[in-house]
Amino acid sequence: MIEDDFYRTSSQYRLWSFTAASLQAQRATTNAVASDRVRAAIRRAQEARRSATSSATGTPVPEVEGSTSTSTSTNHPAKAEEKPIECLTPEEEQQTVSYYCEQIIQLGEAYKPPLPTIVRATAIQYLRRFYLTNSPMTYHPKQIMPCALFLATKTDNYYMSLRQFADGVPGDTTAEDIIAPEFVVMQSLRFTFDVRHPFRGLEGGIMELQALAAGQGQPAPHLAATTQTQTPESLQRGLLALPLSSSSKNITDRIARAHHTTREILKSAAQITDVYFLFTPAQIWLAALMLADRALAEYYLDTKLGTPAPSSSVQEAEAADGLAALRPKLLRTLNDCAVMLQAYKPLASDPDQMKTLRRIIGKKLYHCQNPEKVNLGGAGQKRIPAAALASSAAAAAAAATPTGGVDSGASESEMERLAKKRKLETAAESSSGSKDIFGGELVMQRTKER
Amino acid sequence: MAVSPLIPNPASHAAKTTDATRESEVNGSERSPYKHNMKYSSHVTNEREITEQLNDDVRHKYIKDKRLGEGTYAVVFLGHLRTDPSSFVAIKKIKINAEYKDGLSMDAIREVKYLQELSHPNIIALHDVFSSKDQNLNLVLEYLPRGDLEMLIKDTNIHYGVADIKAWMGMLARGVWFCHENFILHRDIKPNNLLIAADGEVKLADFGLARSFADPYLNMTHQVITRWYRPPELLFGARQYSGVVDIWSMGMVFAELLLRVPFVAGNTDLDQITKICEAFGTPNEDNWPGVTKLPNYLPADPNHVVPLQGRDFFLRQFPTAGPVGADLLMSMCTFDPKKRSTACRVLQHGWWTTEPTPTDKKNLPRKIDGVKKMGADLTRRGGEIEDSTFKNAARQLNFTAARD
Amino acid sequence: MPSAREAMANRGDDDEVCPVCKSSRYLNPDMQFLINPECYHKMCESCVDRIFSSGPANCPVAGCHKTLRKARFRKQTFEDINVEREVDIRRRVMQILNRREEEFDSKRAWDDFLEQREEIIANLVHGTDVAKTESDLQKYASENMRSIRANQALEAQEASSLKEQQTHEQELARLRREAAKQEYENERRELQASREDVLTRLAAGRPGDAAAIAREGKKVLLKKSSARRSEEDRIRQKQAALRNSDARKAGQGGLTADKADIAGDSGLIKGLKKIVTPEPEKPYDPFGGMVPNKRDYYTLRDFYPSSYLDPIRQDTRMQAGGYDLQEYYSRTLMEAFAGLGCFIDEEVAQRDDAGSLGVSRPAATQGAAQAAVSSTGTPEAS
Repeated sequence: MIEDDFYRTSSQYRLWSFTAASLQAQRATTNAVASDRVRAAIRRAQEARRSATSSATGTPVPEVEGSTSTSTSTNHPAKAEEKPIECLTPEEEQQTVSYYCEQIIQLGEAYKPPLPTIVRATAIQYLRRFYLTNSPMTYHPKQIMPCALFLATKTDNYYMSLRQFADGVPGDTTAEDIIAPEFVVMQSLRFTFDVRHPFRGLEGGIMELQALAAGQGQPAPHLAATTQTQTPESLQRGLLALPLSSSSKNITDRIARAHHTTREILKSAAQITDVYFLFTPAQIWLAALMLADRALAEYYLDTKLGTPAPSSSVQEAEAADGLAALRPKLLRTLNDCAVMLQAYKPLASDPDQMKTLRRIIGKKLYHCQNPEKVNLGGAGQKRIPAAALASSAAAAAAAATPTGGVDSGASESEMERLAKKRKLETAAESSSGSKDIFGGELVMQRTKER
Repeated sequence: MAVSPLIPNPASHAAKTTDATRESEVNGSERSPYKHNMKYSSHVTNEREITEQLNDDVRHKYIKDKRLGEGTYAVVFLGHLRTDPSSFVAIKKIKINAEYKDGLSMDAIREVKYLQELSHPNIIALHDVFSSKDQNLNLVLEYLPRGDLEMLIKDTNIHYGVADIKAWMGMLARGVWFCHENFILHRDIKPNNLLIAADGEVKLADFGLARSFADPYLNMTHQVITRWYRPPELLFGARQYSGVVDIWSMGMVFAELLLRVPFVAGNTDLDQITKICEAFGTPNEDNWPGVTKLPNYLPADPNHVVPLQGRDFFLRQFPTAGPVGADLLMSMCTFDPKKRSTACRVLQHGWWTTEPTPTDKKNLPRKIDGVKKMGADLTRRGGEIEDSTFKNAARQLNFTAARD
Repeated sequence: MPSAREAMANRGDDDEVCPVCKSSRYLNPDMQFLINPECYHKMCESCVDRIFSSGPANCPVAGCHKTLRKARFRKQTFEDINVEREVDIRRRVMQILNRREEEFDSKRAWDDFLEQREEIIANLVHGTDVAKTESDLQKYASENMRSIRANQALEAQEASSLKEQQTHEQELARLRREAAKQEYENERRELQASREDVLTRLAAGRPGDAAAIAREGKKVLLKKSSARRSEEDRIRQKQAALRNSDARKAGQGGLTADKADIAGDSGLIKGLKKIVTPEPEKPYDPFGGMVPNKRDYYTLRDFYPSSYLDPIRQDTRMQAGGYDLQEYYSRTLMEAFAGLGCFIDEEVAQRDDAGSLGVSRPAATQGAAQAAVSSTGTPEAS
């Protein structure tokens, strides 16, 4: 079909479409590579610290620039000397990413006026694509998320200055913090910025349904040439004959409701699940419409593919062969997609999931963050002062020692110190503003529980 | 404190710890250009991030040769595939703009975004994008060694006829039509953005001002398209417009090909409006309903009202085009965007099938050394006219205003 | 040189005697010697008449058993019979292997061909591998008859056109000389006329005007001659342009005729350009093979009822700016169905199997999956 070939030229189809198996394998690879690198990096940090303490006994070590806010996360290696470092599993990584995808929706809402749905959706897909080849252990989503959103404002023609954008980001995130990972993000996106969303397609479908309802329907091109069964009137009659669902007054109302519900699904479930990787935008919005109003969606599909009615002549069946052959496969695919969409539950509304998340992000990720990537300037941004760039490993290593001048690596005291420091940090975070939606909320809740 | 005594020296570090991973990280990512061949072996995956490996895979496909041109915005190199020295490409390295604090510039983002999606014989092909060590963006573009249409128009030693013009315009129209079919506006069509391939094919280049279109109630900026090629609705400040903005530009290119000088060349936006009115007539509510309501509309001086020019004007002004050609040109230069031909209508016009048939692309007039020109064209930013007339650049995109 | 001179000197003694009938030029001053390119044995005209008039016969020279025909006997051009023979062979081979430089893909291929031709000639001259070389040559000749003829015709045409051009140039030179003479004559006459004119005016006018009249007369003269000159220049340029375009046309015509005749690559010669049979001229397709506005899943309408979009039709500004709802309709419906029939699970699996995209996409390859499994299996692997 011509429309399908149109989609096949897109970078989304060429680079960002996967089978369920290949998607899983990709995530497994990413996780494995990142885990290895994290372990190696932490070990290096320990090495550096040990050699440092032996050479600089007693002398206070100067603080290194550029390793300020996040430097504490590099303090844990001491503990790791005793225990093997526990890395995130691919599933845990995915949950973490999903959480920050939800955060994008909220962050976008916080702007005045709120950022357009499509900008937020693009940012979410950027984040999801980014974490196919990167691990949250390497780059914390907290740092990547605002960058992805800012990049989306640029690529989706909703341009605002970085300063303006940074003002909308709660907390003390600076403009530099936001822009620092931009290159890493773009490289991970393989320099493809176009995301094909299902939103505009939904509008098209609704337009057609409204035309059908108004008796202005057009028969599908394949059916138009061969049969007289589809006329605007017959199409309208068919639509009106659908068994009425619960509360709709009339067909216009029904379409409007379906429209609204579908759109909500596309804004939430379609964004946070894997459907963009596994299905096409046309399939996604139709699957969402099936969830919203199954009868309506199926009738609409029938007008496109022809009814599988046995009464129709052989000739007719042959004529619409291309589309008719598509039918069973398409229905299966739409069902798969619908199942996936329906299974989605917003993380924030589910206490069980939040509890798990708190464990993952608040504790586990905190310990297995790659110390060499903590400062994203280390990833090579030219804007970051060269001193920070010189050796991120060294910076991390240096930052690991300043507190304990006579630190002998004793695990007990180190753990105590770490715990204290973390508490202080969380306290600071909670005081910095309740609007912190960068995962601060999670940590806050943890402190409350304690 | 620039250097901490704690910074481990990689060499001694490696010696002490035999940490092979770190050692190879230094060697692998910096020096060995062939590492990419061993994709995904566990050894390699430990050296670099996966994204870096993927990027290196792309980067090592090409070899940069000599520099073809340099501008403030980009440097263009001649390059070739590592596996095939005869397969030339142009590598456009986009410079980091130190003054621009907001990350990658919009031009680069737009160019990459849209070229990644478009694949058509009349649109410059973007083969690959990669980042080099210093985090510069490198676009691997189709190599177009025969210069651009501007060069042919200006070179008085080159003689071309209406069959040649028809061939060039046909290729241009197909490229624009394809953009519009993909719902992308080019917004900077002009002779020096129309590059010529080795086989004579015209290629639409420079998508630095491109954007997707057609969404309702969404304001777009009117400060686009190089002034001489900018349609009146944009000069009047229209914020919602359609694909036919590119058609006006195409019409101006058509006229310029026929006359061999820019047809309407204003010195300022205002001057451009005046000159357009002098050439085509004065727009009013009759010939362009609603024009007086456009934001920057200026009522014409009642003493200088020029009646709208008709078919005979185009015939007189462009006799070489012939009556059918003049009719096509007129349909592209219609004031009212609603009445102007769309790209599809342009291609459906009868001119293409009337005599003379368009020249076969391999027999088109050519200039031998267009490589330098390509270098210059690819380093320019969108909206710029050549250096000499730099003042005319339509560069100040007011993005905040664009959003309203 | 000495050997040549020696041959010259010897000529009077040995060569003046017919090796067949032993009659000598001394007795018969009109005696003519003939040779036959079959064996190059020399004999006198009367011997040839005597032996071969009644049909083909063996060469009378002892030990030579070649069958000769009278028709092929001819006079010797070169004194050295070996040179004579080589020239004959060369002429024959060149007539068959008459490919032209423009028929080859590259300079290299052309050079290879020239070398190959020399080798064939050398083989035949020195008698190495004669049978095979001859059969190759015959095979080539029969297979490439058309191309050989075409190139011969082309050569003949070139030769005649060269001659033509030479006479043409001579003619032009003559015309130019005549024109120059004429011009000189004209100028002289005009000069005289204007002088007379000035004189009569001087005679008629007042004394004060004398200088002015003289100056004016000079000016008129100058103007006339320069006008004449530029007029001549123009004509000359026009003629030159015409000549050039004629020549070009002729060249192109010849070339295309030549190409059309050639059947294709021959077995013997390598590196010939592939002959492209000109495709039948297709009508020009402005859309370049694509079909505008063709859709498979829907039929685009001019109007869709929508309370959301209705205000646009009333918005003068949007209308005047050219905003086109049709474009929005077109886009939404395209996006509604673009990819409806793309089954990612099938198509991507096929693509992965094809394996060609391993580098260009981030999907995990098999190797990656294995690496993942192995490294998760042994967490401390590194």
